[in-house]
Amino acid sequence: MNPADEAGLQVNRRHFFSSGASGVGAIALSSLMNPQRLQAGTSLAAENGPGYSPGHPGKPHFPGKAKRVIYLCQSGAPSQIDTFDYKPSLEKLNGQELPDSIRGGQRLTGMTSRQSSFPAAKSFLPFRQHGKSGQWISDLLPHHHAIADEICIIKSMYTEAINHDPAITFFQTGHQQPGRPSLGAWASYGLGSESENLPAFVVLLDKNTDPQAQPLYARLWGSAFLPSNHQGVKLRSSGDPVLYLNDPTGADRNDRRQLLDRITKLNELRKADVGDPEIDTRVAAYEMAYRMQMSVPDLTDISDETEETMELYGPDASVPGTHAANCLLARRLAERGVRFIQIYHRGWDHHGGLPTRHPKIAKEVDQGSAALVMDLKRRGLLEDTLIIWGGEFGRTVYRQGGNETNYGRDHHPRCFSIWLAGGGVKGGISYGETDEWSYNILDRDRYGVHVHDLNATILHLLGFDHRKLSYRFQGLDFRLTGVEDHKPVADILA
Amino acid sequence: MKLANAEADYSQQNYNINLAIDGKVDQSGWAVDGHAKIENRRAVFTFAEPITSESGLTFKVRMLHRLGLSHQIARFRLSLHESDSPPLSMSVAAILARPKEKRSPADIGQLHEALLQRFGPEDAKVAFAKLRDLERQRVKAMAAVPATMVMREMASPRKTHVLFRGEYDKPGEEVQAGTPQTLPPIPEGLAGNRLGLAKWLVMPNQPLTARVTVNRFWQQLFGTGIVKTVEDFGSQGEWPSHPKLLDWLAVDFVESGWDVKRLLKQIVMSSTYRQSSKLTPKKLEADPENRLLARGPRLRLDAEVIRDSALFASGLLNQQVGGPSVFPYHPVGLWQEINNRPGYSRTYQQDSGEKLFRRSLYTFWKRTVPPPSMSAFDAPGREYCQVRRSRTNTPLQALVMLHDPQFVEAARHVAERILREGGETQKQRIEYGFLLCHARQPSELEFSVLKDVVETRLAQYTGDRDAANKLLSVGDSPIDDSHAVPELAAWTAASRVLLNLSEFVTKP
Repeated sequence: MNPADEAGLQVNRRHFFSSGASGVGAIALSSLMNPQRLQAGTSLAAENGPGYSPGHPGKPHFPGKAKRVIYLCQSGAPSQIDTFDYKPSLEKLNGQELPDSIRGGQRLTGMTSRQSSFPAAKSFLPFRQHGKSGQWISDLLPHHHAIADEICIIKSMYTEAINHDPAITFFQTGHQQPGRPSLGAWASYGLGSESENLPAFVVLLDKNTDPQAQPLYARLWGSAFLPSNHQGVKLRSSGDPVLYLNDPTGADRNDRRQLLDRITKLNELRKADVGDPEIDTRVAAYEMAYRMQMSVPDLTDISDETEETMELYGPDASVPGTHAANCLLARRLAERGVRFIQIYHRGWDHHGGLPTRHPKIAKEVDQGSAALVMDLKRRGLLEDTLIIWGGEFGRTVYRQGGNETNYGRDHHPRCFSIWLAGGGVKGGISYGETDEWSYNILDRDRYGVHVHDLNATILHLLGFDHRKLSYRFQGLDFRLTGVEDHKPVADILA
Repeated sequence: MKLANAEADYSQQNYNINLAIDGKVDQSGWAVDGHAKIENRRAVFTFAEPITSESGLTFKVRMLHRLGLSHQIARFRLSLHESDSPPLSMSVAAILARPKEKRSPADIGQLHEALLQRFGPEDAKVAFAKLRDLERQRVKAMAAVPATMVMREMASPRKTHVLFRGEYDKPGEEVQAGTPQTLPPIPEGLAGNRLGLAKWLVMPNQPLTARVTVNRFWQQLFGTGIVKTVEDFGSQGEWPSHPKLLDWLAVDFVESGWDVKRLLKQIVMSSTYRQSSKLTPKKLEADPENRLLARGPRLRLDAEVIRDSALFASGLLNQQVGGPSVFPYHPVGLWQEINNRPGYSRTYQQDSGEKLFRRSLYTFWKRTVPPPSMSAFDAPGREYCQVRRSRTNTPLQALVMLHDPQFVEAARHVAERILREGGETQKQRIEYGFLLCHARQPSELEFSVLKDVVETRLAQYTGDRDAANKLLSVGDSPIDDSHAVPELAAWTAASRVLLNLSEFVTKP
């Protein structure tokens, strides 16, 4: 059942969906019922006030603690052993063969299945306790030390996929095979937009520096069978910031306004003749496009940030396309009412040379990610903004190739660590534990967090019962979290 | 000293021995997988001209080794051999060295050829050369025919099992091909393979195929199928709004010999389809989705149709049928943005000329980065079968219509057509523009808005030729310079207005 429907909006449900950009369809419908509202060429935004939204004016099932989400996706999969899963036991197990009892007959990837030996490797950097909470974090992420009390580290994440493409697709769409709506699209579908100038779901891609990084796929922010107005819109660091935002003819603002006014005028004449409310919707869409053209430069112009803020995010923040710059933009997007902001950082997939390559990628993301948490906190935005940080699976405790000092780690879906912050999640805690090899989750039935559980938690924080947020397609009521029994992780909710 | 020929007993892929004597010293050469296969190798070089001397000769050989640590040569030896006739090729020598009974038919053919080349009569050599040439032509002709995948049933079908929880190494009960129980079974005498399935699909008492098919064409024309859930005629699907109509159309379609053109003609010529699609609040309230068909269809066109319509109105549309996919305008950098791994990714290579204007059906589709102007208008990502599209109305669509070079360029060509074909007076021209883009005459009010656009822009562009040139220079196609720049620019601006009207992307 659609949440908006449950909330009892006074709109005919059929028209609601048939008009596609449903919210506007509804507004257009109300305009049609009060035809005087649209005359005199005033813009719909002016008519409808700042609450006007071209997205889905969705209503959650219950009041959610998070109003928006910022997802810092670490594509390629960081090693839990070298970041957040503190394992003093590995000090003595270092170099020892992974016992069969621990591996439990697990099928390995083609990359290590022919290895004759599986020696364990401890974290290549020391762990230390930080904050009042005393959370253990590796020296790989020094800026994270300052946010130890804000983040909830889930050490008992697990997934079903063992390769990047299906695994990241599973994380982001709830299904390993392509073709399902992304998490952000579901959020946009459920919540609608808060912004009258910007899309509900914005995607930022950090510039990749690792020559062997895994690719991304448009499906990760796609809408699949949900109406396409829920697809993620990329905010780009080079070229048009939003695709097709800039006028290739170089027309100035007056020219553009004039063009738009003529289009609107003719559209209105047509509307008066044929009475189609979709024409009003289109007029509104052109108006929003025009506002986007003006609001995006304002959004991306960070010259109004204080020196202190720039210092918080670090020197990268002034280099477009870096993680720090995108984190800063994410905060600016959050302030402007964007519901779901997805940042992708690639390059964590280190099958070889991990002790030298992990630090490079860690350095690229560490300060920006941490700064975002601190910045939102001091602005009072952390309370209702959920931040998620993590990859699509973990990495093996055993070495892939190499020797004691220079080695890789293979894919490991059985346990890994991610962190959440803000938006109704308890800070300064860890959830779940792994065995002394960081290979299996201890008491997985009780403490394991499946990808669907995480997504159910995210939806819960946004105010949705994940079992009820669904969309009918090809005879099935699809939902993000599949058909099996999964539930939000109650213990981490504030 | 010119070398005519080079032959080796082994060449690494892409490093053929011929590259050792191609004259490109710094770009190419011979290699023998020396990093992986440590074996003796031999190469023979033949001089182009015989070398004779009374007093003896000194040869200087300079060999360049241009690879770092691997591919090292261990013991290196040169020898010189004198002969009146060209040396036997190494492959022929190898065949000769083999015992007779170990020679393959191909080996024997090669020996015959060598024999012929060395000792044969001239006319036989000519005939042989001709044969070779014909063989080459045949290979070339075959290569020009595009390859296509076909499937063939296995002689004995593979056993298929239900897999326990889908795991391939946990087979359960063995199963046979068949149809779901709620559908008619595959009749006796038909094989349980793809041919059997095809015949089952079109057998006379097959209740679904024709209904599903006519329903999809109905959806294409009216926006909503008679059964709204076109992808689902099952128990979860919606009941048809007009069951008898669906049945009649389906039976008639089959009886016509599954004639699609006839079906489409039948529907578009019906009085139902030709009704006015005008709406009133009352009509809208009574039947917002027009399921009762009391009015004609009114819906936003599909992504492909919108682009094709703009190309058609402008006269740019290339109506060629068939052939490989094309690469029309596309924002720079999109492919590299999500995958810049060397060797695993490439950049979008935009086509030029005619290929920019082919029907959207031929646009190359990379599923991980679908063409964004298509996605904006609800073209599905093609990762999942989707026979019913969403139909949204979004700001991103406005940005595409306003700023995609394809549409700006199309506007320029609409303007050129207006000036070329539209008549002499401003009135005739505006009317012609409306006709091209909206297939109708403008009302007086519409006319006056367009007139205002043309006149203001003409004044503006007369004073600012740079702006006019900038507008006209969007797109790859050449500018028709038989028109004054400000005039063409003013009409281009007017055409942009026409292409951006809601009516342009809406049917009717």
